[in-house]
Amino acid sequence: MAHRVDHEYDYLFKIVLIGDSGVGKTNILSRFTRNEFCLESKSTIGVEFATRTLQVEGKTVKAQIWDTAGQERYRAITSAYYRGAVGALMVYDITKRQTFDNVQRWLRELRDHADSNIVIMMAGNKSDLNHLRAVTEEDGQALAEREGLSFLETSALEATNIEKAFQTILTEIYHIISKKALAAQEAAASTAIPGQGTTINVTDTSGNTKRGCCST
Amino acid sequence: MDRSRGINDYEPGPVPSESRVDRYGFIKQNVSNSSAAEGLGKSREARRVRKWRKMIGVGGSDWKHYVRRKPHVVKRRIRKGIPDCLRGLVWQLISGSRDLLLMNPGVYEQLVIYETSASELDIIRDISRTFPTHVFFQQRHGPGQRSLYNVLKAYSVFDRAVGYVQGMGFLAGLLLLYMSEEDAFWLLVALLKGAVHAPMEGLYQVGLPLVQQYLFQFEHLVREHLPKLGEHFSREMINPSMYASQWFITVFSYSFPFPLALRIWDVFLFEGVKIVFKVGLALLKYCHDDLINLSFEKLIHALRNFPEDAMNPDILLPMAYSI
Repeated sequence: MAHRVDHEYDYLFKIVLIGDSGVGKTNILSRFTRNEFCLESKSTIGVEFATRTLQVEGKTVKAQIWDTAGQERYRAITSAYYRGAVGALMVYDITKRQTFDNVQRWLRELRDHADSNIVIMMAGNKSDLNHLRAVTEEDGQALAEREGLSFLETSALEATNIEKAFQTILTEIYHIISKKALAAQEAAASTAIPGQGTTINVTDTSGNTKRGCCST
Repeated sequence: MDRSRGINDYEPGPVPSESRVDRYGFIKQNVSNSSAAEGLGKSREARRVRKWRKMIGVGGSDWKHYVRRKPHVVKRRIRKGIPDCLRGLVWQLISGSRDLLLMNPGVYEQLVIYETSASELDIIRDISRTFPTHVFFQQRHGPGQRSLYNVLKAYSVFDRAVGYVQGMGFLAGLLLLYMSEEDAFWLLVALLKGAVHAPMEGLYQVGLPLVQQYLFQFEHLVREHLPKLGEHFSREMINPSMYASQWFITVFSYSFPFPLALRIWDVFLFEGVKIVFKVGLALLKYCHDDLINLSFEKLIHALRNFPEDAMNPDILLPMAYSI
């Protein structure tokens, strides 16, 4: 989502939080944006919204996050919020198998309504409830690899990996955007000086992006 | 957090002492100044209750007659607020739910005990997430949570096309604070099936058609009644689905101060959904001069966190009636 440029930040990225009802989306959002966790939280009706500004590779990035109601019927309202989103945090509950099985439906939902370049991170939330685990970390990892998604297990309650999950998404988005900007510059340069040789492909960028997110 | 739970393991949770809850049963977040005002109006309140009792008759026997004879008196009195001790009874009378109950003896019991619903797990998942700060609903598997479950399950069987949709719990929860399970169920039926006013079931049907319609209408009403603000909203790309879906889906019971929600419900049950639009517009009107200067993010925040004075029913409602 490209909003007017402010002096407060270099980039503004719109992120959506999706996943079945009750997996902890709202608490992930409050942990990330306010460092709060609420045991007595109400179910989300419609959409909620929060922002946080942070540093990504030396740039100031503002994450504008839309938290959506998880129940299927609410997609009539919530799917409109996928438009313009450059990132998605897709959450399931490691203690509820069904919420993991439904990840496929959420992916389809994104393919149908979101930008095809959207960066998706899958989060297996409630990792603090290890004794009630119904989805192994390996299962999560395997699905993520099959679908080409980033993956982390998180706990909003214990504040585990919440920061890292968003950092990873935002860094990946930043890389894509700066790559695009670079490509645009090159294109501009090559049209400005016609007949100047062929385009040089830098092939190992995928390895670079992966490294970038973990080193922060 | 959804810690694993079976429906049968009853845990007597901590029951807060009386001083920690407000007069409606919500755990106090901070000490409010309302008790002084409440004490001041005690004798006036008693006079009001006497008037209302006369109007209703024993168990509601004179109500219909009175409404037919003096509809304007009834409307005016309801707009001033139904006395809290009579609220449950009056709500049943004005919503038409009392008649439904009398016409359908035994039906509720049948739905609760013998039928199964595809929505049972969805309902259970949300039970502890409905009015979590109210004493009645706080106790895990306590009477409040059980009643809430029963009413929602019964409704999901009664109308399988609607089933259970998030948000319905707040309607049922609000009603259960003022009446029995069976009464609350029939009031829910009266609302969704349209016993007196237009049916609300479209708020919860697949595609949420009535939510979409109301949001669309509300956007146009904002432009019509508050043109400057409407323009500002469209410049900032604010649309009502960002702040008002809950207003319609739960009739202001989701996140508004309880005393205000009750007063809105008094009028809503008697006059219909118009009051939801009017209250929404009144809120925007009251905060107009602040809202008009805010940019996107601050606007969204402001539209979800109205100042305390804006949510005073005695200020907001007269404004809403005048729209």
